[in-house]
Amino acid sequence: MLIAILMSGLAVGAVYALIGVTYNVMFSASRVMSFTAGQLGMLGGVLGAAFIGVLGLPAILGFILTLAVCALVGVLTEIIAVRPVLNSLEQHLYVLSTLAVALLIQQFVAIEWSTEPQPFPRLLGVGGGGPTDEKFWLPMLACAATVAGLEFLYRRTLVGRAFLAIAEDNFAARALGLPERNLRMGSYALAGVIGGVAGFASGQLLLAFFANGAMLNFYGFIPVALGGLGNNRGAIISGLLLGVFQQAANFTFGGVFASVAVFTVFIVVLLAAPQGLFGMPPQRRV
Amino acid sequence: MKVTRRGLTIGGVGLATASGLGLARPAIAQSEPIRVGWLAALTGPSSAPAIGFDRGVHHAVDAINAAGGVGGRKIELIVRDTQGDPTKAVNAAQEMISRARVHAIWGPTNSGESLATTPIMARARMPDIHPCFVDSLINVARYPNAFRLAPSNSQIDDAVSDYGVKIMKLKRFAVIGDTTGYGTTTVTSSSAAFAKRGADVVYKATIDATQPDVTPDMLRMKNAGAEAIAVWTVSPGLISRLMNTRANMGWDVPLIGHPAMGSGEVGRLVAKPENWEKTYILGFKNCSYGPDGKLPAHVQEFVDSIRGKIELEDTTLWWVVCGVDAINLVARAVRETGSTDAAGIIGYWNTVTNYPGLYATCSWSKDDHNGLPQSDLVMSEANTQRLGAYKLAPGYS
Repeated sequence: MLIAILMSGLAVGAVYALIGVTYNVMFSASRVMSFTAGQLGMLGGVLGAAFIGVLGLPAILGFILTLAVCALVGVLTEIIAVRPVLNSLEQHLYVLSTLAVALLIQQFVAIEWSTEPQPFPRLLGVGGGGPTDEKFWLPMLACAATVAGLEFLYRRTLVGRAFLAIAEDNFAARALGLPERNLRMGSYALAGVIGGVAGFASGQLLLAFFANGAMLNFYGFIPVALGGLGNNRGAIISGLLLGVFQQAANFTFGGVFASVAVFTVFIVVLLAAPQGLFGMPPQRRV
Repeated sequence: MKVTRRGLTIGGVGLATASGLGLARPAIAQSEPIRVGWLAALTGPSSAPAIGFDRGVHHAVDAINAAGGVGGRKIELIVRDTQGDPTKAVNAAQEMISRARVHAIWGPTNSGESLATTPIMARARMPDIHPCFVDSLINVARYPNAFRLAPSNSQIDDAVSDYGVKIMKLKRFAVIGDTTGYGTTTVTSSSAAFAKRGADVVYKATIDATQPDVTPDMLRMKNAGAEAIAVWTVSPGLISRLMNTRANMGWDVPLIGHPAMGSGEVGRLVAKPENWEKTYILGFKNCSYGPDGKLPAHVQEFVDSIRGKIELEDTTLWWVVCGVDAINLVARAVRETGSTDAAGIIGYWNTVTNYPGLYATCSWSKDDHNGLPQSDLVMSEANTQRLGAYKLAPGYS
């Protein structure tokens, strides 16, 4: 029983963590909280089911195509919803523009795909539905691979360091001759890939369902707030903790009371540490 | 008498006015089509029932018109797609009443829309038949024009709890629903129905339909000692997760309740076909296969007659035949009263007793506009759908 709760909690938590990282990658490059993060996760599941389950493509090809389309959606989000409002960040127009794109994606999927959840194909056929089933460990594996990949990208590659440079200070990065716009588009494509990985890996758990986007937007935001805005490690740890806590609350309290428990803890943590559990207090230049 | 030019003119005008306003009117009324409004949520997320009803409605209208109509008057359908939106349903109902001047309305087909349109139709004294379940939609004092051609929620609760307690002979039940208004209210009413029969409701909860894993909830139900789970949701995702988790836990507990558990979407989402077994849904006697594998004779005859004409594999038989019955009840009222007068149609429906419909044996009276007898509600095996109908659940002779 404990293993069942732990495995499903970690699996769900890994998905929340990846969506949190998706938020962070977009935020780091543009200082914009893009509410398309959850929709990218939803697209990962729907496109995976469409390419593999409906069109019958091999799983690897379906996976690559899914990530390519999600990356494209990420780039389009930057062009349509982020770039036009970058000059007026203080007015928070990006809330409206990114929410509008998120709704467009959701409605398009509802019309063209289905308003009912559709099955996601078995990928490896490992496990018989119990705690060791692939639907539980695939999201965890995807989360671990993403963390390792991001660490490699940011620490070992020039492009990754350039991403970090514009995240740190985009004015200084531009002054040094870094192509800020291209790097920002690259970050949004990367966010699309991470969101797509989250949705694809959790397809068997969440099913290919257009309404998953709103749910992931919501629960994916909590690790960002708890872990500290822009802090990927904080988002990963907070996401995993959130998933386990949510499943434990489901077992202890049941039904909707579990959501009440989750949000009570969320509010208490933010009251105690407004910058998030792993975030630094804002420093003022003097 | 001297006939003057002025007298001739006045007389002519008077005659023309009289013929226009009164004398010729009955002749026009007798030949004009019978206009039936059909408020249908044909698109949108809750469109599946209306699409099924629509097939039956068009079939019935075509059949009546092909036979010469009702007393020579053809039926004209005025269809408006409400998209499941109460605001659109209200606009469509008002347009049907004041502009299209329909003689009767069939629909809306979901309770949310019906809650909005029923008072409007009552004010206009518009004869209305609808298939919505919410109890408060039928009230002969407030809505004397509204007639239900479906079970009420109370009847459904009674049917499911009767099956669990009296036929399955179980004592301890878990009652769960989704977090929608429907799920929340039905969990309460269904629990009360079980309690009324002396059963213990050992677990009662609502679950978010998008919750990825229901293992914790199922463990709680098992630990509480539930012998059966009553499920009240229309979400195939939640239903299939309950079934898959039940199988993974190796828990042989029956699921009973909402007809959505028998939908094709659920069949596509269960991990293995056997996960769909031991699930019993609310059904209707006329639309259930008996032990001989056949429907009641008159329904079987209808199904045989529409083979190849109406698609039944992707819908539910009761939706189709309910649409047929609704149109036939309007036609019958016009035939029996000889007019399309609203008071006449309502007055006739108030006298309908044991109408041998395809969907059910329907009765209405001045004091009760709930059309279905409790005996027409049965339970069916969820995974046995064939031509839109299901096999009777175990326990019925």
